[in-house]
Amino acid sequence: MSNEFRLLRRNRTAIIISLLIVPVFFTVSLGGATGGAGETFSPTTHIPIAFVDNDLTAASSRLYNAISSSGNFDNLVQGYREDNAVALLGTGRVFAVITVPEGFEKNLANGNAASLVVYVDDSVNGLEEELSSSLHRILRNFEPDLATESVASRVSSGIEIVRKGATISGFVFGLTIILALVTIFATFYEIAGGMSRESEDGTYARLLLSPTSLAAVMMGKSMYDLLLNVIRTFVVLGIAVYAYGGRPNTDFGTILALSLLISLLTMSFGFLISALGAGVRAVIIIEFFLVLFLFSFSGFIIDRELLRGISQTISYALPWAYGMELLRGTMLVGQPLSALGTQLTFVLASIALFYGLSYVLLRLSRERLVM
Amino acid sequence: MNRQINDTAAVTAKELRQLLRDPLSLALTIMFPILLIQLFAVIVTAFSATSYNISVVVSDLDGSSVSKILVDKLTSSHVIHVIQFLQTEEQALHAVQSGAATGAVIIPKGFGDALLNSRSAFIVLQTDNSKITSSALVQSAVTSSVQALSAMTAHGSGMYSAQVEMVLRPISGRPPSGDTFLPGMLGMITILGAFDDIVNAITRERERGTFPRMVLTPASILSIYSGKISATVVLNAIRTTLMVAIFILTGLVIRGNILLVYLTTTLIAMFTMSLGLLLSTRIRSSSTLTVLEIAITFPLFQLSGAVQSPEMLAPGGRAIAWMLPWTYGNDALRRVIYLGVGIDAIAINIIVLLVSSLVLLPIATLLSKRTI
Repeated sequence: MSNEFRLLRRNRTAIIISLLIVPVFFTVSLGGATGGAGETFSPTTHIPIAFVDNDLTAASSRLYNAISSSGNFDNLVQGYREDNAVALLGTGRVFAVITVPEGFEKNLANGNAASLVVYVDDSVNGLEEELSSSLHRILRNFEPDLATESVASRVSSGIEIVRKGATISGFVFGLTIILALVTIFATFYEIAGGMSRESEDGTYARLLLSPTSLAAVMMGKSMYDLLLNVIRTFVVLGIAVYAYGGRPNTDFGTILALSLLISLLTMSFGFLISALGAGVRAVIIIEFFLVLFLFSFSGFIIDRELLRGISQTISYALPWAYGMELLRGTMLVGQPLSALGTQLTFVLASIALFYGLSYVLLRLSRERLVM
Repeated sequence: MNRQINDTAAVTAKELRQLLRDPLSLALTIMFPILLIQLFAVIVTAFSATSYNISVVVSDLDGSSVSKILVDKLTSSHVIHVIQFLQTEEQALHAVQSGAATGAVIIPKGFGDALLNSRSAFIVLQTDNSKITSSALVQSAVTSSVQALSAMTAHGSGMYSAQVEMVLRPISGRPPSGDTFLPGMLGMITILGAFDDIVNAITRERERGTFPRMVLTPASILSIYSGKISATVVLNAIRTTLMVAIFILTGLVIRGNILLVYLTTTLIAMFTMSLGLLLSTRIRSSSTLTVLEIAITFPLFQLSGAVQSPEMLAPGGRAIAWMLPWTYGNDALRRVIYLGVGIDAIAINIIVLLVSSLVLLPIATLLSKRTI
């Protein structure tokens, strides 16, 4: 273990990348993209959106007031003609045009559905969905105040949906992904990359000729990497809690324990890859695809039950997917670890299996090296 | 000048020949875009499916004819799959807490009676919010069923409900499918490909000791760097062609001039290469540089407009995004591919990428001269 720390101290770039750049870059990019945990942020608030009123009635005027005072459309611009406003889409001067067609109030008064036409610059990824969801929320509560009996009846006979379940901020949700990604990414490279580099430099063979046993070598490297992961977990959580106000639904000890469990899983896989004789370049390529693979199949962004066919089967076979469930269950909804026994067992069994396999393979290769 | 061009061409030819002799790097160059697109196809397929089987339990404590209609609507949903009917609220809530179901719908006693007498009624929906997408889908499916029931009961009692419908008209005319990610993917593949080229081009040569030997030849540092950038431009053209072919096979229509797509990816690659050359003057190990490359991948996905446009980011993220020249490249790609805009509409994006490369390249050359 002390040998590993000595090597790390000699390579300052590696220290900076491993302990600072990876956790800081990942956490800050998450905070930058989603905003802090306490922030209520609507992407449509600040962007210029044209409001064209072709009806010019009391109902359309109330609709304008409802939209502009919702807090989701602070940059609503009036005064454009419909064709002029639509022509500005795609230029960056206007991102959407909300048009109230002629006959809007008349339709409502006659009990017909009135329509609202929204032109949207869909080269802006995500705008269509955000706009649609913000406007739907406003329209659901929109009261045109036509003073008709029927509207009052509609309000009184509504069905309310009482929603239960933990309230989760987008930031804390993203934090589970960041923590897992940082851990997996850094750990795999440190173990598999370190072993491969030592093999290529010839220092691994020399290490095996020393009285140190293979188990002690593996244990030493694992202990060293566990310590690095403690620091990384502190860095990620420190930024998340103090800079972005993230409040996970569990205690720090549980998060640290799970982070170390995921790092142990990745370490054991790293040993397995290096036991298969992968070189440094191959390790880097494997790491890149491992991260992408886990991103797609381990529940990082897609819940397992939304996957189909072979994708779902792969997801069920990946131990990291269970690690993600553990992180989500505890950090997001505050479940105790005892309630996640199946996932815990699967991860622990995978760690034991990977360590066992890599030990056997490394032992076989040791005999070849020493002979 | 002629000498400079000849040297640049010689280095370009050497780079391409070297790549052809390295099957692993060659395979990575070709396979990388294909594999990345395949993985994103999995994500997009999952998000854009028209039906799901998300497990939900129902506890109908009312048992009235109205509640049965709601249950019927829930069971016929294409999004949720009612796996069990439970007798009590506690059982339903426990099913969600234990992970057996993603959602539980509880219809309380008196629900039907309240609706038939024009009073407000409620149902309870418990979701496992640790599954963020699934729980949102369950909420949306239950809301749709409830809205359908509301409309039915209102109609049955002679009431009418004044509604405002929203008609969304995207200006590109493209269908609301998963291809929203593809231009961003092209941008990311260009960035990562160019970064990988720099690892091959400089740091590995340094490790093998061939770089100082090349510097000792009569070719100037600028010619060497220009040659390496030219090789990247050629490789980038191959990668872009491959991606465009995949786009067309997946049904994406490129509305703008295809040459503008090539121009934009070339400028993104040149900027990335210039930055890579600058970094390689300080980071001399190929593996460290590659790890740095992977380390910046995730932040770039988030902040360079590859997945979400900068306008959709929180204020802090938006400010960072517009400071990254890659964002201008991804923005240009999206507008050329989706909106079919011409060079005048993306002129600023092109200038930002070009100027950034022109600023970084001399600095990299200067630093490189000092470190050799």
